[in-house]
Amino acid sequence: MVGFSRRTALGAGTALFGALNAALAVAQPAATPRRGGALVYAQLSGNRRGGDATNSRHPYFMVDLITRSAYNTLAWVDEDLRLQLELATRIVPADASLKVWEVTIREGVRFHDGRVMTANDVASSFELHRRRNFASQQIQRTEVMNPTTIRFHLDAGNSEFPFVLAEYDCVVMPANPDIDRIGLEGIGTGPFRITGSDPQRRMTFERFDDYWRQGFPFLDRLEVINREGQSEAALAGYRARQFDAMLNIDPRLTRQMEREPQTDLVPAASGDQAVIILPKHPGSLFNDARIRRAFSAAIDREGLVRIVYGGTRWGWVGNDSHLAAADPMFVAPERGRDLALARRLLAEAGHPNGVTLPTLYYAPQWPEMARYFQFIQESVREAGITLPIEERPNDGYLRFRTGDPDVSKGNWHRFAYTAVGPRNPGISLFRMRPANNESGYWSGPAAERYMALYARAMLTAEAAARRAIYAEMQELLREEVPAILPAGRNNVLIKRSTVQNLKNHPQHWSIRWDEVWRSA
Amino acid sequence: MISLILRRGALSLATLFLLATFIFFATEVLPGDALDVSLSADEVAMMPPEVLARRKAELGLDRPILERYLGFLGGLLKFDLGRTIITRAPVADIVAMPLRNSMALAAVTLLLALPVALGIAMAAAQAKGRGLDNAVSGAAIIGYSIPEFVTGLLLIAVFAVWWPIFPATITASTDDPLSVLLAAAPLAVITTIIGSIAYLGRILRVGMIEVMASDFVERLHLSGIPRWRILLVHALPAAVIPGLSAAALYAASLVSGIVVVEMVFAYPGIGAELVRAVTRREVHVVQAIALAAAICVVSFNLLADLGISTLDPRTRSA
Repeated sequence: MVGFSRRTALGAGTALFGALNAALAVAQPAATPRRGGALVYAQLSGNRRGGDATNSRHPYFMVDLITRSAYNTLAWVDEDLRLQLELATRIVPADASLKVWEVTIREGVRFHDGRVMTANDVASSFELHRRRNFASQQIQRTEVMNPTTIRFHLDAGNSEFPFVLAEYDCVVMPANPDIDRIGLEGIGTGPFRITGSDPQRRMTFERFDDYWRQGFPFLDRLEVINREGQSEAALAGYRARQFDAMLNIDPRLTRQMEREPQTDLVPAASGDQAVIILPKHPGSLFNDARIRRAFSAAIDREGLVRIVYGGTRWGWVGNDSHLAAADPMFVAPERGRDLALARRLLAEAGHPNGVTLPTLYYAPQWPEMARYFQFIQESVREAGITLPIEERPNDGYLRFRTGDPDVSKGNWHRFAYTAVGPRNPGISLFRMRPANNESGYWSGPAAERYMALYARAMLTAEAAARRAIYAEMQELLREEVPAILPAGRNNVLIKRSTVQNLKNHPQHWSIRWDEVWRSA
Repeated sequence: MISLILRRGALSLATLFLLATFIFFATEVLPGDALDVSLSADEVAMMPPEVLARRKAELGLDRPILERYLGFLGGLLKFDLGRTIITRAPVADIVAMPLRNSMALAAVTLLLALPVALGIAMAAAQAKGRGLDNAVSGAAIIGYSIPEFVTGLLLIAVFAVWWPIFPATITASTDDPLSVLLAAAPLAVITTIIGSIAYLGRILRVGMIEVMASDFVERLHLSGIPRWRILLVHALPAAVIPGLSAAALYAASLVSGIVVVEMVFAYPGIGAELVRAVTRREVHVVQAIALAAAICVVSFNLLADLGISTLDPRTRSA
């Protein structure tokens, strides 16, 4: 690591995470909260977790939105995608390599079974996470320094490691030497304790009186009804007053629900976005960066947000990186749609009369996808780009679009869409690495430069310096366009007006339920 | 009679073996596997191919098809339905409660629908060609033609949203007592009953009309037997015979999953579980549910055959 002393690293780390070391900065609700009452909400988003009666209380097998009701993590990403401390009171790099991180945990935190949380519980929990959670696999081992301090030893330096500690799977559970048993009882430190579980269908909670945040939660009971893919059933339940809130509603419903009496629509600052993967296998048109740039420049992104999502309250313009617009590291695109540039680039690439692209495949993973791609199809036509589109069934779509990473086998991945959610900047930007399908297996000097910048960012503790690197990476993506990320949607929830302080979150699994209360 | 039972039983077992084989290979053509669909886009993006391959091997997803088929058949012989791929839970545990719930919904539906359908069929047959018959036939055609999801949504709109006397969606748990579950599902029950009455009523009406026009009923009339006695004691059993097979198949279809009704009302039955299992590529669960449905059809057919043999001795030598 060049020009990066231990003193610099520690100093920068202290500055960077100094803010985190203050008390948990979660804003107090404006109105005076009222204790008591129950809240029933339906969640509609797809969930890949297949819990059953044997494991449905385990954080890995719950519907992901529920996890934080019963469990906590060491850190938390807030509604503006900024890192906050949760069960940790301090997270700092132990040396300049950023390979070792030291975490001090909050004292006096109790699990639902009454036990006091110690660093051993954290170590035991991460023994599971580092084997099973994709984001934690970089942890080589943990080292308990004392009952409230633990060190994480990573396989490489990672300036964004605290974000890993905020991953919703990386919860703290009571220690268990048998990692196959850990978490099965459903005991966490969260604001609510689990009282009942019907796998993939329903979960009930009651207030945990010894919750570490004094005075929280406000609700006595919480009930979650899983209605993924059953939007109509959930809506009927809401209208029949069976539910007090519905999470992740279809954007098409927003206009209709705005007319619903005593109902508030709560958009998050951001949400998932669509990635258009541009394959760069032999013979592909997308090997030519000018074609990729022309395609990107021809898309009317503002129009896409306006027509498909109904405006910037419900959607946002992307910048061809995996970063969400709400991310503090996101650099807004400087130029909008540029048809003249698109036509010029096509002409330079040998297509002065326009070009017909291969068929773009998509699956209706979101209800608005057909409109989304029809709009893009019309939008790029004005630049002379003919874009055939084809909808594929959700069932088996992943395998259909990814093909085989080994292009020598001829089973190439497709010119296709996938969806991505907002994560921390490091993980998000890493997704455009050459070895990943989402980048269309991008290669060449620009890709190498991109990865060199990424490697530098991972070893840069100082946030401002890292921001500059990330900005450079985004600029590179806008120039090279390995993939196109035109626009995203804001997560939207609806709730009764009597439900107070229910804030939506770009990562819907990170919604805090401990601050929610009912005025009636 | 015993030889009939043995013959039909052996035939049923052979049918089930063929069905089991078909079910196994049918699940093989599903694209992707349980690991594919259990991973999020994030995980797929971050996980190296060699880790994916290792996890597939750990879950047994890389085993040859013949090995898995023999394992499947061997398990069936031991009444072992296997375990789920991702969580290793016994498949029997996953399927048991939804199967119980679907059977309960089917039983309640048949218990309520059959007497009504019989009454309507008898009344319509008695008034053949007149206003009542035309009204019943018309209503039956409409009741049978309207898709169950339309009936269900209409009932929800009226009785859950406009006039909220029933829940719109069932929030009871899968393993709640049946009394709790069915009490939470009045609209689902009414939806299935409407379709059932229409279907069974039409079949039974035709049977009743045929029997009432037969020579033996004519002779009974001439013998001076009261009309109500002819209808209930003599005509009804004969009229039910042709409808038994159709009714048995209908009952089996109710048990094996009224998928649409279960999805509209979120009823925790076997149909909804099947949809979930297919989506998650939990092929062992899919196989178990498909097999349970096949067993239902074969068993109800067997029962119908035995019922027909009991009611109509002429069929016993067949």
